[in-house]
Formats: sequence, C-alpha cells, structure tokens
Amino acid sequence: MSASEEDIVFTCPECGETMVVNPAMRDALVTNGCVVCGAAVAESAFEVSDAAQE
Amino acid sequence: MALDQQTEMSRAETDALLARHETGVLSLAQGDEPYAIPISYGYDAEAQTFYLRLVSTPESEKRQFLSSSPAVRLVVSEETEPEYRSVVAKGTLKEVSTDEMTVERIEQFGDAKRPLFEIWGESKTDLRIQLYELDADDVSGRFIELDPSEYA
Repeated sequence: MSASEEDIVFTCPECGETMVVNPAMRDALVTNGCVVCGAAVAESAFEVSDAAQE
Repeated sequence: MALDQQTEMSRAETDALLARHETGVLSLAQGDEPYAIPISYGYDAEAQTFYLRLVSTPESEKRQFLSSSPAVRLVVSEETEPEYRSVVAKGTLKEVSTDEMTVERIEQFGDAKRPLFEIWGESKTDLRIQLYELDADDVSGRFIELDPSEYA
C-alpha cells in the first residue's frame, strides 16, 4: 500500500508483523485475525500516524 | 485386497473433500531432491486456490526449497471404510508479501487453519512465517470403494 496523509499501521502483538492498511483491511484483520500468524487482533493493534510531509 | 472400482470424483465431490479437511501433504523437488511436508490450508473452491502459512527457522531447509516459485503437488486424503478418497492439486506456489495484502486475502488466510506453532517451541517473533498461494492448474480427485468382504 502506498502512504497517504494518515496511515493506519497494524502491528501484530504476537508475531510482530507490521504493515500499512486501509480501513477495510483493518476491519478484516479484526474479524479474521492477523493474516500472518492467525492471532486474534484488537483495535489496539492499530495506530493512525500522520504520514503527511511538508 | 481387491480393488473393486476406482472412480474419478466430480468437481463438487472434490471441493467437498477439500472443504472437510484443513491439512495435507505438500510435495516439491529441487533437481532430483524431493521435499514433502505436512501443511494446513484454506481453500477457495471457486478460484481453486489454496492459502498456506509456512513456518521456518533460520536453520530450516524449507527456505531452500521454497526460495523460488516451485511447482508443487498438494495431497489431501481420507478413509471412511469402505471408501478411500484422495485429491491431488498441481500448480505453482507463489509467495504473498504483506505489501500485496488485500481484504480478500486477509479473509482467505483467516479461513486457513493456523500452523501448530507449538511444534517449534519458539515464540512467533523468532520464527519466519511466510504466506503462499497455490493457484491450482489442476485439481483431481479419485475414490476407491473396497469390497467389504475383504475386511475381517
């Protein structure tokens, strides 16, 4: 995924996998678990960061 | 033991068998060196695509065999007397990077049985977990109905 003004960054609390996701992917991860290790995913695994650069 | 009849399974029967199971044996080769491992999978019947998570450690020979998109066969079988059924899927194993992630892939991998991480005895952060898709070129199933009189 390419960066946007606000990135949603997912970090799995069990396997440590990190990836940038969009809102639909965030919802899918919460529903289905970490795509890499299958661990349950909570909203706290996501961080919205401001990736905009001046 | 006599083999009464070997019959090719229909597409629906083949998909049903694959849906009943979550594990199989993945086999491939590098040159004339074979490699086979038990794996767990998810299966999209409409696309005839399998979704696998393969786990390895830094010392594992698995990485050597999976380093380039290899041709593979995946075998799933079951025995319910007096029938024995098996499905063989043939295709190329393609690694899926998290950079290529989509909602559909998240859902498909979500349906795939998770590997037994406990086997390695290490935390997941110390393991290498790679995602693969097997877009099967051919999925064929056969069943054999054995003569019940052959069973003691």
